[in-house]
Amino acid sequence: MSKIEDVKVLVETGKSKKVAAAVQEALDAGDKAQDILDAMIASMGVVGDKFSAGEIFVPEMLIAAKAMSKGVEVLKPVMAGDGSSSLGTCIMGTVAGDLHDIGKNLVVMMLESAGFDMVDLGVDVSADKFVDAVKENNNVVLVACSGLLTTTMPALKEAVQTIKAAYPGMKVIVGGAPVTQEYANEIGADGYAPDAGSSASKAKEIICA
Amino acid sequence: MLTIRENLLETMKGGNPDRFVKQYEFIDLIMEVPLGVEFNYGQTWKDHWGITWQWPEGQLGMFPVHHDGLAVIQDITEWKKTVTKPVIETSDEAWAPALAHANAVDRKEKFATVFYAPGIFEMTHHLMGMENALMALYEEPEAMQELIDYLTEYELEFAAVMVDKLHPEAILHHDDWGSQISSFVSPDMFEEFFLPAYKKIYKFYKDNGVELIIHHSDSYAANLVPYMIEAGIDIWQGVMNTNNIPELVEKYGEKITFMGGLHSGTVDYPSWEKDVVKKQVEETCKANGHKYFIPCQTSGLPIENFEGVIDYIDECIDEMSKELF
Ligand code: B12
Repeated sequence: MSKIEDVKVLVETGKSKKVAAAVQEALDAGDKAQDILDAMIASMGVVGDKFSAGEIFVPEMLIAAKAMSKGVEVLKPVMAGDGSSSLGTCIMGTVAGDLHDIGKNLVVMMLESAGFDMVDLGVDVSADKFVDAVKENNNVVLVACSGLLTTTMPALKEAVQTIKAAYPGMKVIVGGAPVTQEYANEIGADGYAPDAGSSASKAKEIICA
Repeated sequence: MLTIRENLLETMKGGNPDRFVKQYEFIDLIMEVPLGVEFNYGQTWKDHWGITWQWPEGQLGMFPVHHDGLAVIQDITEWKKTVTKPVIETSDEAWAPALAHANAVDRKEKFATVFYAPGIFEMTHHLMGMENALMALYEEPEAMQELIDYLTEYELEFAAVMVDKLHPEAILHHDDWGSQISSFVSPDMFEEFFLPAYKKIYKFYKDNGVELIIHHSDSYAANLVPYMIEAGIDIWQGVMNTNNIPELVEKYGEKITFMGGLHSGTVDYPSWEKDVVKKQVEETCKANGHKYFIPCQTSGLPIENFEGVIDYIDECIDEMSKELF
């Protein structure tokens, strides 16, 4: 099995303590950093699909994401200055009045693994804070808003509309248990995904559209 | 007409209830139990385990805080340094309000029911944050097992006092085990870490005169039902429609009763509408039937966020009883 294959298996099975060494070995064996990164991104794609399909659960996803980040740490110095692999910056937060963050954190991890530079604003984020964050960060291509309470769905709407008013071309993706595709359409969001597994492909689709 | 209690028991054994059980009607909930759980609107405080809680003004409920070094457990391998069981109230004064309530329950109609929260799984994430708790199950399984044993020990000690003081007939025990579409942990992991704890806890209650174990988890958890049965749960309260309830009733009804079917988020919301609620009650009653099923909003307490919903749901259930019995 090639070294890159080792890395893939270790990421998929969440062996965070072993990934760094495996990535180093792959580099030493002459594999390109970009190829190793792509392999890890592909692994997280597999993890995301399995999560969407209900074959794996939150802990498995968390340890896979952690394993990937350990691998990325090794690649970072090698790839420094090479911005080609980034898909751009994504601002994410849970909307005002809502403090749930487990789902949001999983989505942050999946988008990060897919190649976005993530800026996590945390919970209880007002519409204005999302707008400020778009202003303050470079190369923002996407804003992701999470909402878990039916009582904060209006806050989700306000966030989307405030962002769109300030930055008409900005893409916005929404999600959270009570959110549906219909609701996303209704409030003018560009996309919706039902779970973290499918959020990465949806996000990529939106920014390319 | 059967009493409320008889009607429940008929429903649970798949016999001949003469109407639908109306949500929580069969329990008289003793919330005065000195659990040490506080609800402080608009405040930030530490509870008896040292967990920091926040209930910001204008928001629906409270939240454990884990950032800025506030989590009780920073490193799971060193949990013993920072986790200490709270002292359990044993004085008669502390239990007097609960006892007065227990004695006042009309036990012909209702079950004298004690309330217990948070459960073992919830305690692990309140102490260290959800991500850390879930990852620790993989990364430090031994330390997690020890922590879970310790939390279980505390629950059993509390249970011993509670049973002695109140002689409850039922318990409503909270522990949320999932999101709307999946369980938090896999069935295998649940079996390894949480099933043994719950077998001990619920067996203790059963051995000490508690007839009904009502476990609350408003989530998907269909994949955990066999373990619920093994743990001794009689009623799973909070079952959401994201579970295939008719299938669960069919497959497991003889061993466990399902209580829910009305997602609180879609019935109990600001300016809720009668049509919407009525339609959902109709759907859930018709789809799930009256054997081994109790129509109920999924929230873990018979309390509404927005005025009037609970009574209106009851009214709609009455109508369904007229139509379907
Ligand atoms: C765990 C939990 C908590 C924990 C949260 C811990 C934390 N750090 O987040 C605690 C105990 C602290 C808590 C507190 C409260 N909670 Co709560 N909580 C839950 C519970 C059980 C699970 C939510 C969860 O974490 N799911 C797991 C994650 C992985 O799933 P998820 O969040 O759905 O996210 C996935 C997808 O939705 C999607 N996604 C999420 N965001 C986004 C964003 C984008 C852009 C995309 C693409 C996708 C996406 O991807 C995620 C991963 O797959 C739910 C019940 C339920 N069955 O959902 C109630 C629930 C959400 N809570 C509820 C309530 C009411 C509260 C409280 C008000 C307290 C109370 N009275 O119970 C407070 C809230 C205070 C506030 N202002 O926010 C209600 C909401 C009802 C309603 N009206 O909508 C629920 C539904 C329970 C209920 N039936 O009563 N809660």
